[in-house]
Amino acid sequence: MMAWVIAAPLLSAILTIAFRNREARRFARVVLAAIAAALPLSLVGTIDGLSGTFTAIVSVLGFLATVFSTGTFTPDWGVGRAIWSRKSVYFVLLGAFWSAMLLVVLADNFAALWLGISATTLATAFLVGFSGEAAALEAAWKYLVLCSVGIGFALLGIVALAHVAIAAGIDPRLTLSWTAIAGHTTPAAPSLAQLATVLMLVGFATKAGLFPMHAWLPDAHSKAPAPISALLSGVLVSCALYAIMRTLEVGAALGVSPLLHQILVWLGAASVIVAGALMLVQRDLKRMLAYSTVEHAGIVALALGFGGSLGFLAALLHVVGHAFAKSAAFFAAGMVQRDFSTTTLGKLRGLWQRGGSGRLLLAALVALSGMPPFGLFVSELLLVFAGIAAHQWVPLGLGLTGIALAFAAIARNAIEIESGTAKAQGIESSPALEIPRTVEQRIAARLASVASGAIAVALIGALGIAVVPWTSLGTSLLRIAATLESAP
Amino acid sequence: MEVVVLVAGAILLVNGRTFQVLIAYVVLSAVVGALGITAALASPATFALFAVATVLKVVLAPLGIVLFVRANPAAADLRPSIPAPGRLLIVIAFALLAKVVTRLPAVATVPMADLVAFVVLCGVGMLIIHRNLLAHMVGLLVLGIGIGFAASMLAPGLPEPIELGTAFDALVATVIGLALVRAIVVHDPLLDVESLRRLRG
Repeated sequence: MMAWVIAAPLLSAILTIAFRNREARRFARVVLAAIAAALPLSLVGTIDGLSGTFTAIVSVLGFLATVFSTGTFTPDWGVGRAIWSRKSVYFVLLGAFWSAMLLVVLADNFAALWLGISATTLATAFLVGFSGEAAALEAAWKYLVLCSVGIGFALLGIVALAHVAIAAGIDPRLTLSWTAIAGHTTPAAPSLAQLATVLMLVGFATKAGLFPMHAWLPDAHSKAPAPISALLSGVLVSCALYAIMRTLEVGAALGVSPLLHQILVWLGAASVIVAGALMLVQRDLKRMLAYSTVEHAGIVALALGFGGSLGFLAALLHVVGHAFAKSAAFFAAGMVQRDFSTTTLGKLRGLWQRGGSGRLLLAALVALSGMPPFGLFVSELLLVFAGIAAHQWVPLGLGLTGIALAFAAIARNAIEIESGTAKAQGIESSPALEIPRTVEQRIAARLASVASGAIAVALIGALGIAVVPWTSLGTSLLRIAATLESAP
Repeated sequence: MEVVVLVAGAILLVNGRTFQVLIAYVVLSAVVGALGITAALASPATFALFAVATVLKVVLAPLGIVLFVRANPAAADLRPSIPAPGRLLIVIAFALLAKVVTRLPAVATVPMADLVAFVVLCGVGMLIIHRNLLAHMVGLLVLGIGIGFAASMLAPGLPEPIELGTAFDALVATVIGLALVRAIVVHDPLLDVESLRRLRG
């Protein structure tokens, strides 16, 4: 069953090619994607909570991205010369990307997890370069090279981990299973275990876009079509952070946690402050959102680095909240790009007056800035508590400074683009996104786009109010108090 | 074997002509493949994956690059960004660094750790030294070879997924790399990474 769940998005994308009628194909695309998104429900009870949470993120956002793509693109798609610029290929690559991410979060060992992460590169490099423009191809190349090097080092770490596991007497068939390794608390080669987990951490951090391995992220996320940017920022980065969480789990069992936590704390703090500062100088909406992804990945790393159940809870909540908020922001940015044919911040004005896209974007930006009632407010609050509990004052201070810078950047740009009278200057037709021609197409496209974005925003809001385990939060706060009291 | 790996690595980093670098790459991958073949014989599945990875790395990837360069002769120069003496110094530094690696407690017991480290360093070095995107492709492939070599030395008889991983690594570098390079050459026939600097900040 697991194999079918993982393959379903790719198979459904391939199946829809068989439909000759355009409308039937669109309908089939959405229905089959819905089925693919619902299939993981059959795994409830067979996977652990962490896998379950990430599977939910991947499935819901994979489905929304498919719906958004179906609504955004029109039949005359495909102006790029490359084969991957064709509509059918786009959806197959999107399905492959979705399946690869399911493999990452449903795997029970590092080898399969790594394969999934590597497979995402195979699918998304073409999606990033989808438009065929020189800048998009440049972004795709950077993405390919930097991520391949990063995940190459992660594989080197996994190989070293296998050596450690074999030396520790773990069944050779289970050498890369985190459950099996966690069951053995006495490492046979502690220094190699340290090297292995550090390599894995750095490798997965590259895919998560943490500073200083982040150079590919702003380019790839800003040059990809909006639904792909949503998945790259909202889901792929989350999958990489999931891999880091599994590495930490293994690191704890091997007794190398302190080093990993320290590395994460500093990578996280540096990412937050650098990304926050760079967000202030961005003049493109999608690029600013991409840097915001680096900032949020940094917040998650910081929370994981602070450690403890409080840090882990903050990290997990932040991943979930960010996934939906960032996807909604990119969906809205895609609609803005379609309406104005630009995402240059200086050229966008009066988006609030435009209705759907402008208001959706504002909601997503408010969520991303960490304002209540959205989930990111709660997770950032928990991050502060986790930092205090861990007595990590300097990284916490750096992190909070970065968050403040990011807030300033988002607030300034949100006010600038939402206020005033709607205008669009220097419009040039984008080869990636075409404006629907007939009235019916325009209505259908707008409905699909607004619906997918609105669902994402609704989910983030709901996360802040309902899904957040308030009782756990209360328990955590009590734990902080206890920690602070017991501190020397 | 050590000398062959050292010379091949030196050619990869010092030479600026695609065909000569490709010959060095094929020699390096063949030697490293031969050194690690005993680990690949653990099971039929492992051997099959090893064979697929080897065909991808040693035959298809170089062949793809050769055909591409024949169609786009302007891309034949790997355009090193450092003068030849500097590149030679880097090779020497890598060789010394690889020897130092063997003294680290973490890898002291790993057989041929110095060779593994040297191959990995050569892969990374190709990405840094040469400005031509084809060199970056070869660099990724060399890095993959180094990782496969590490796998056969660190844990012989590893589970098949690791072999699958190294095969997949080669597939990613070969297929995506060549496809993107074909698209990029339309914008820049020299495939110079300097021309890919539009996105900054």
